[in-house]
Amino acid sequence: MNTQLIDWIWHVRGSVALAPGQTVEQAFGALDPLFHEPGTSHDRDGDALVFRKKGQAAQDKMSVFDAGVLRIENGMAGAVLHYHLISRALLLCFLAPLLFLGFAQLTLFVGNLEKASAEAAGKDAKAAKKNDKKDLALPLNPIDKFLGAPAPEKPKKDGKDKDSGKKKPSATAAYVFAGIFAALYLIGRVLEDKLVKRLFRRRLLGS
Amino acid sequence: MNGIRVGNRVVGTQAPVTIGWENIPRVQGGPFKQWFFTWFQPVVLFGLIVFWYYAPNSIAKASTAIGIGVGFKILLLALEWVNPRYDSWRLTWKELATDLFYVGLGYTVLRLVDGYLGDGPMIDAMQGYWHLEKFQWFTGLPLLVQAFAISFIFDFGQYWMHRGMHNWQPLWLPHSVHHYITQLNINKGAVGNPIELFLISLGIGGFFDFLPRAALMAGAIGMAIGTYQHINVRFNSPRWWRFLFNTTEHHSLHHSQDFESTRSNYAGSYIFIDRMFGTCIDGEAELLGMEGGRRMTISEQMTHPFTEGWKALKEKFGRSPTAVPAE
Repeated sequence: MNTQLIDWIWHVRGSVALAPGQTVEQAFGALDPLFHEPGTSHDRDGDALVFRKKGQAAQDKMSVFDAGVLRIENGMAGAVLHYHLISRALLLCFLAPLLFLGFAQLTLFVGNLEKASAEAAGKDAKAAKKNDKKDLALPLNPIDKFLGAPAPEKPKKDGKDKDSGKKKPSATAAYVFAGIFAALYLIGRVLEDKLVKRLFRRRLLGS
Repeated sequence: MNGIRVGNRVVGTQAPVTIGWENIPRVQGGPFKQWFFTWFQPVVLFGLIVFWYYAPNSIAKASTAIGIGVGFKILLLALEWVNPRYDSWRLTWKELATDLFYVGLGYTVLRLVDGYLGDGPMIDAMQGYWHLEKFQWFTGLPLLVQAFAISFIFDFGQYWMHRGMHNWQPLWLPHSVHHYITQLNINKGAVGNPIELFLISLGIGGFFDFLPRAALMAGAIGMAIGTYQHINVRFNSPRWWRFLFNTTEHHSLHHSQDFESTRSNYAGSYIFIDRMFGTCIDGEAELLGMEGGRRMTISEQMTHPFTEGWKALKEKFGRSPTAVPAE
């Protein structure tokens, strides 16, 4: 199986043309400061550079990548830097929606268990409800009345509030976060690709 | 580093810190920008108090509070972009994704656990066991008094829990993870080991009965003050504000790489609690974190208290190797 069919999820590949007349030494010299950040180790072998990052700082311009290979090859139009970078952050962000969908399922499961136990205890609840029928109108301090604050609502007696003290777990937040991470992955995959390309280009062209 | 004497302690011997309001940089720019970043915090606070005080019952609901909370965070994210306190704290995609992961945990699985093991069920169980009634007379107090009482009671408890975390190893281990953050952004308050996030959320407010509107006001007050603990925005907070309330300056010092500075400014919202107990230091820091600013991965943040706790237990109770006598 060709792993490139799926590894684009967390692998970023691209190429940047070197400036006319720029040698391999000059190009790697221009990129060198990027590989002297804290937590970064690198190894140069001729036309290729391999790097690895561990515990990289938040403001490291390549912090999203954990490893990669940079290779300079001579093409028809001149020398070109080809890079292949690997990002665990992108992979984890891609998988995060699945985790939150799992949390949603867990919440629904717990909610169903609650419902079953509440139904089993239904008779007790009815007995308890009888005692709750007294008027529970909440007071409002005279100062607040004078200042015009709305009076508190009386608790409803039609039974709709019977579970108000015991909220049923809701899976909505988990679905929302699954959506947020799906969007965040798409943004990150495009943005980090563009940013690293721009970083290499600026370094190589010296701007 | 020589450090700076503050009362009977010396801070800033291990990493640079700035002490004293007169030494803290002010917002640069035109008169509108200066006015905006001076009055933004008080206007939001008083605006929210007035809103929750007068909002009709049909609007004064938890769903409205959630909507305002989300909108406020988006606004603050924009302010981080426009007027950052430090460029070295700029939000990156990776930082945002990491922070949102913890925010997501808080809204989902931690909330689920909290529904069964948190302060609410614990207090319900205690009240059931000892047949205790809630302190219902609180509902008769003026709304603002109730709202302040709710937030103060919670913050007072949080102060001591937080101070305990910095002084007792079993509590420090889960809390230490939060101190590995190396920059302040608006979601950084959610970053930490889940055990710590659970512990810091415990409060005794459940023993009291409050009007729902007062609880919503208390939430808004907490949001309009406490959110600035973790944020990368430079404000010219008014003098009275920084005397009463926790600010980014105070909290950045608490997160400093300087150990002595971290042992200050424990309150979440009301810095006057720190002033009462002599733990307040007015100042700020840019270099944050532990171990010289090492960034911790999520997996390490999840396991750190357990691995470090195990190491500590082995050190304390493990058998020391005995020398085998030579034949």
